[in-house]
Amino acid sequence: MMADPLTLAIPSKGRLKEQVDAHFAAAGVALKQTAGARGYRATVEGLPGIDVMLLSASEIASALVGGDVHLGVTGEDLIRENAPELDGRVALLKPLGFGFADVVVAVPRAWIDVSTMADLDDACAAFAHRHRRRLRIATKYAQLTRRFFAHAGISDYRIVGSAGATEGAPTAGTAEAIVDITTTGSTLKANGLKVLDDGVILRSQAQLAMSITADWTEAMRGSAGVLLKRLGATLPA
Amino acid sequence: MSAFPTYGPDDIAALDEQAAAMLAVFAGRGYTRHEPAILQPAQIFIDRSGEEIRRRTFELSDPSGRELCLRPDLTIPTCQWQVESGRPYPARLCYHGLAFRHRLGGGPTQFYQAGAELLGLEDRATGDVEMMTVAVGALRAAGLEKFEMKIGDLGLFATLVDALDVPAQWRGRLKRHFWRSGYFETLLTRMVTGAASDAERAIDALHGLKPAELRPAIEALLDKEGDAPLGMRTREEIVERLMVQASDGTAPKLDAKVAETVKQVLDVSGPAPTALEQIRTLTKAVAASMEKPLAAMEARLAALAGLGVDPKSVRFVAHFGRNLEYYTGFVFEFWSRDESGPVEIAGGGRYDTLLESLGGPRGATAIGCAIRSERLLAAARRGK
Repeated sequence: MMADPLTLAIPSKGRLKEQVDAHFAAAGVALKQTAGARGYRATVEGLPGIDVMLLSASEIASALVGGDVHLGVTGEDLIRENAPELDGRVALLKPLGFGFADVVVAVPRAWIDVSTMADLDDACAAFAHRHRRRLRIATKYAQLTRRFFAHAGISDYRIVGSAGATEGAPTAGTAEAIVDITTTGSTLKANGLKVLDDGVILRSQAQLAMSITADWTEAMRGSAGVLLKRLGATLPA
Repeated sequence: MSAFPTYGPDDIAALDEQAAAMLAVFAGRGYTRHEPAILQPAQIFIDRSGEEIRRRTFELSDPSGRELCLRPDLTIPTCQWQVESGRPYPARLCYHGLAFRHRLGGGPTQFYQAGAELLGLEDRATGDVEMMTVAVGALRAAGLEKFEMKIGDLGLFATLVDALDVPAQWRGRLKRHFWRSGYFETLLTRMVTGAASDAERAIDALHGLKPAELRPAIEALLDKEGDAPLGMRTREEIVERLMVQASDGTAPKLDAKVAETVKQVLDVSGPAPTALEQIRTLTKAVAASMEKPLAAMEARLAALAGLGVDPKSVRFVAHFGRNLEYYTGFVFEFWSRDESGPVEIAGGGRYDTLLESLGGPRGATAIGCAIRSERLLAAARRGK
C-alpha cells in the first residue's frame, strides 16, 4: 500500500489561479490533472507522493489552519482571518509577489470630520449615544476587524457580515463603514468611500504556507522539501 | 473543570441547596424571581455589550435567518423584561440560571449565575448599600465566610476628567478608554505631544472663522462631497462634531502635569481608606468636584463595616471598571482563592444607562450583582 501523500492546496479559479500556475511553471513545477477529477485534483510531474487539491482561496485558508492540508497557496488576509496571529497553526513560508491587497478600514468620504481611527472612535461613540444603536461595520473579516478595532480602543460598533460587494454597504444603507480589501482604491472611491489614514489593517499578498497542525510524516517532509526547494522556500525545522 | 460538564447527583443537590439559600436571601429583601429565555435574540446583546462580549457569545441563526444567541448574561434580558412589562419602578428582580460564554483559554462554556437587579431606585447611595447587603448576604447564606472584596467607581474618574481643562471630545475619549490599560497611556501621551490632531484638513479650513461663520463653512465643505453616502450617520452629526473641534482650536495639547496626575490617580490601588486618601491628595487642585464621589465611596465603606466587612480589607482599585461595557459607576467584585490563585466569585455594579437604552424611563438607575454558582460552591467547600 502506498503511503499517505503530501497534500498541496492551490486556488481553483480566477486571477489568483492563473498567477499561481504561472509561478509554478516558472519554477519548473508542472501540474498534471488527475483523470476523472474534473479539474479538482492534480499531481506534480516528476514528484510522486504529492496530491494537489484545487480549492477556493478561502477554503485553502481554513484547511491550512485546520490541518486538513499540508501546504497551500492563498492570500495572507484569508489565513489571518482564520488564525490572526497564526497561533502556531500555520507558518508562512514565502510571499509570492502577487495577489497584493490591503485590508483597510474605509468610511464615507462625506465624513469630512473623520480621517483617523481616533476620529472613528469619537464618531462611533457619538453615533451610539444619538441613535441608541451601534455604528455598523460591514465586513467578511470579522476576526481581523475585532482585533484591529480593539487595538485602536474602539468598542462602540457592531460587525455585520458581508458575503460580497461590501463596498456598497454604506450606499445600500446596511452599514455605516466597511473593512474590506483594496488594491488600487478605485472601487472604494467609486462607492464614495475613503481609507482612514491609519486604517490599513494588513498589507496582504499570496503566500506559500504550511499547516503546522496537519499530520506530518518523515516521507511527507521529504516530498515537501523537494517541492519547496524548487519554489525557493524551505521547510522550517 | 471540563468545557462540557456533567453534573452528578451530589453536585446537583449541592447547587440546588446553594441556589435555594441565595434566592431566599433575595426574596427576603423583596426580590421576585424571573427566568428569561436561554435562547435570546442576538441583537440586544450586540447593541448593549459590544464586540468584545460578542466574540465570547454563542451565536446561531434559526431557519428564517434570525440571529439568536445563548444568553451570555441574564442582566440584559431581565432589564428588558422590566422595561417591556411596563411594571412600576423601583423594581427588585432576581434570577438563577445558566449563562454561556466562549472560554478563549478553555474552561466551562456554561455556568450557573444567581443574580439580583435593583432597577429605578432614585437614591443611588441607598441602592448601593442595598445591593452590597444582598450580595454579601447571599454569599454568606451559601456558606462562604472568607472572601476578598475589590471596589472601584467609574463615576469618580469621570468626575476627575470633567474637572480637567481639556477639549470636550478628549474628555469623552478619556472616559471611554480609562479601563483599557496600555491603550489609555498611549492616548494620554498623544494628547500631551499634540499628535492627536484629527481630520486636520477640515479643521484647518475652518480655523479662525467666527462662530456665526462656522456652520455655513462646514455645510459648504460637505456639499463639495456631493451625494456621497453617509450611512445612518446624519449630516448634522458631522456638522456638530466639526463645530466642537473648530471651537476647541487646532491641535490642542494636554498639560503634561495634568496627564501625570491622571496616570497617578489611575495607579492608586490598595486598602480602601488609604487609597481614597491618596486620591484626595492627588486631586487637591480640583477638590471641590472630587469631594462628592469620594464622600460617596466613604459612605459605602461605612456600610460595609456595618455588614461586618472591614474597610481596610477591601481593596480599592482606581482603574477597576470591568470589561462589561454597560457599567457606569460603583463596581465591586468578590474573590476567593484556590490552589491555582484568585478566583472571581461574584461581581456587580451600577449601570445607570442600560434601562434607558432599552427604552425605559429617562435616567432610570440600575445596580445589580451576579454570583457564579459553581465557583461559589467550590469556594464554600474549601472553606469547610
